[in-house]
Amino acid sequence: MKIPYVVPAALALAAAASPAWAGKTLDAVKSRGQVVCGVNTSGPGFSNADSQGKWTGLDVDFCKAVAAAVLNDANKVKFVPLNSQQRFTSLQAGEVDVLSRNSTWTLTRDASLGIVFTGINYYDGQGFMVPKKLSIASAKKMNGATVCVQAGTTSEKNVADYFGANNMKYKPVVFDTAEAITSAFFSGRCQVYTTDMSDLAGARTKAPKADDYVILPEVISKEPLGPSVRRGDDEWFEIVRWTLFAMLEAEEDGLTQGNVDSQKASSKDPNVQRFLGVSEDTGKLLGLDKEWAYRIVKQVGNYGESFERNLGPKSPVGLPRGVNNLWTKGGLMYAPPIR
Amino acid sequence: MAAPLAAPVGDAARRAARRARRLRGWLVQGVLALAVLALALVVARNVGANLEARGIKSGFGFLADPAGFNIGELLIDYTARDSYLRAFAAGMANTLRVSLAGIVLATVLGVAVGLLRLARHPLVSGLCGAWVEVFRNIPLLIQLLAIYLLVTELLPDSSGALSIPGVALLSKEGLQVAVPENGRLAIAVALAAFALAAALGWAAARRWLDSGAGLLAAVAGAIVAALAWIAVGVASGWSKPVLDGFLISGGAALTPEFLALWLGLSLFTSASIAELVRAGALAVPIGQWHAAQALGMNGRQVVGGVVFPQALRLAIPPLASQYMNLIKNSSLAVVIGYPDLVSIANTSINQNGQALEAIVVIMAVYLTLNLVVAVVMGVVNARVTRAPR
Repeated sequence: MKIPYVVPAALALAAAASPAWAGKTLDAVKSRGQVVCGVNTSGPGFSNADSQGKWTGLDVDFCKAVAAAVLNDANKVKFVPLNSQQRFTSLQAGEVDVLSRNSTWTLTRDASLGIVFTGINYYDGQGFMVPKKLSIASAKKMNGATVCVQAGTTSEKNVADYFGANNMKYKPVVFDTAEAITSAFFSGRCQVYTTDMSDLAGARTKAPKADDYVILPEVISKEPLGPSVRRGDDEWFEIVRWTLFAMLEAEEDGLTQGNVDSQKASSKDPNVQRFLGVSEDTGKLLGLDKEWAYRIVKQVGNYGESFERNLGPKSPVGLPRGVNNLWTKGGLMYAPPIR
Repeated sequence: MAAPLAAPVGDAARRAARRARRLRGWLVQGVLALAVLALALVVARNVGANLEARGIKSGFGFLADPAGFNIGELLIDYTARDSYLRAFAAGMANTLRVSLAGIVLATVLGVAVGLLRLARHPLVSGLCGAWVEVFRNIPLLIQLLAIYLLVTELLPDSSGALSIPGVALLSKEGLQVAVPENGRLAIAVALAAFALAAALGWAAARRWLDSGAGLLAAVAGAIVAALAWIAVGVASGWSKPVLDGFLISGGAALTPEFLALWLGLSLFTSASIAELVRAGALAVPIGQWHAAQALGMNGRQVVGGVVFPQALRLAIPPLASQYMNLIKNSSLAVVIGYPDLVSIANTSINQNGQALEAIVVIMAVYLTLNLVVAVVMGVVNARVTRAPR
């Protein structure tokens, strides 16, 4: 008879999932030899898989930087593509170690989902894209428009607020995936596609003719995008948070993938020496070794390099650096001192 | 030699054995029920404790909070300022709308195709066979995407809409038609007219016809209802669809999402219903056909009075599960952007992160809808099988 074995097994399973995560993520990552990173299914510039299944993007680079810091090898990442409804549940359930999936940091998400945001790696805002032939110059002229929007995003609420505040009507058509939206929008089902500006620029690269579409100047919301981790594991939280700061600090110190070796050998700048683990061991405070930041720069590059490669004016997405520049250059990117 | 009396024999033994068997049955079932209950309690407690330990908000309190998002098409009044509960209700109304419309169209198409497949003409039966095989064998998801793509690609933009001025507009925005200014009154009047005309028609028709009185009454009722609806429109004035910039105001709309989902569900389910009808008709013994013909009945009488009622008896229980499948399949709406219950719940999950609760709501709604279908079809089935053979 099988019942006597099945029942206790089921009970054990239900009882097993332990709520205590403290310190466990780093150990799990090390013993697994891989960082499991939740990314966007299709977000040109942020996380996008090419025809060979190779992932690229700003969020992808961030996952690689975590792997470089923790596992000494930027390639030891397993990417898990998640749609917008799955993302937080996956992180809560422990299926991914880091969620690096252009997700907006909001109070509700930070305080009620069992996750914490570790920082902001892209300052975004919601905008509108329209076909050029409609010759709409301003978002205020969109009364009555049919608007394509992705399910389960902050965009859905923002667009309701914006049209409500401007006393305009609209008809939302809500799709599950970014692919479904772009195909509906490019076929002409909607006059307007609304989402984060960076996503609009990415989607535009997938249009049959990119020049047929314009992105309107209005930005209707603040969308600070950043990585997040599960609550309750402060050690892991610190590692992920300081990985981003290290990428920013490297750019501020002028360290690039190309010059980091020579700087390590010859730089007399105490900041650089400390950062690269020549004079001090900043890594041990995080549970890492002293070259953690050096490896991030060497294997992935600084924040600016990652931005230019994936989103910058020379990339297919072609976004200006704007507010995502360093604070020293008029932007908002600022890392606390690494010392 | 007398038999020992220690153990009962004969009837007494059988009774004792039956008592023991019953007792054992109750015991086993009781223990199993307790175990299931205990398991459910442990799981529920654990989920609750884990959610709390991880700082995840739980509970159904969020249903009273303002939802903050808009819904593309509505049967009940709803704005972004209304509560999540109302948003769920609006989603459920959309699910019901497409399910009911789908059940009606699928039944009509399915019965027609199923009976025509039995026709002697090879072209007719062949076409109906092809219908069944095509719609039954392509996954519904693919059919929906294909229909939706066709609808959105083929129709013109709203600026170049096909129109019958003042009556209808057809574009990528969907089909917009003029409706009476007082829409609710018109529908109420039409429903009342349908009930009255159908009842009178049935009472009259059953005197003159030996079969098909119900069908005739329904058709008559529908015609009278349509006339009544138009009459209300003439009396109260029409709300006509007018294009102004992007905004199409007035009239009632069938969106491409609704049309695609409705067609997709109906075609897919009609194939299965056609097979049920065919199987039911073929299961009626050939002797019944011959006997009816020998009594001098014509073709309509044979099918309508003898074969169809008997076929119905076989077809109704599986028909109920087709209806339930259709309702459940309507949740595929989410891939083509129709705001059904699941789509609304998905949005809600992402606004407030309460996945568990929203999924409980979804499950409860589908369970309830399907139980209602089960009860209704049970009543229909009881009536059909009670009819004298």
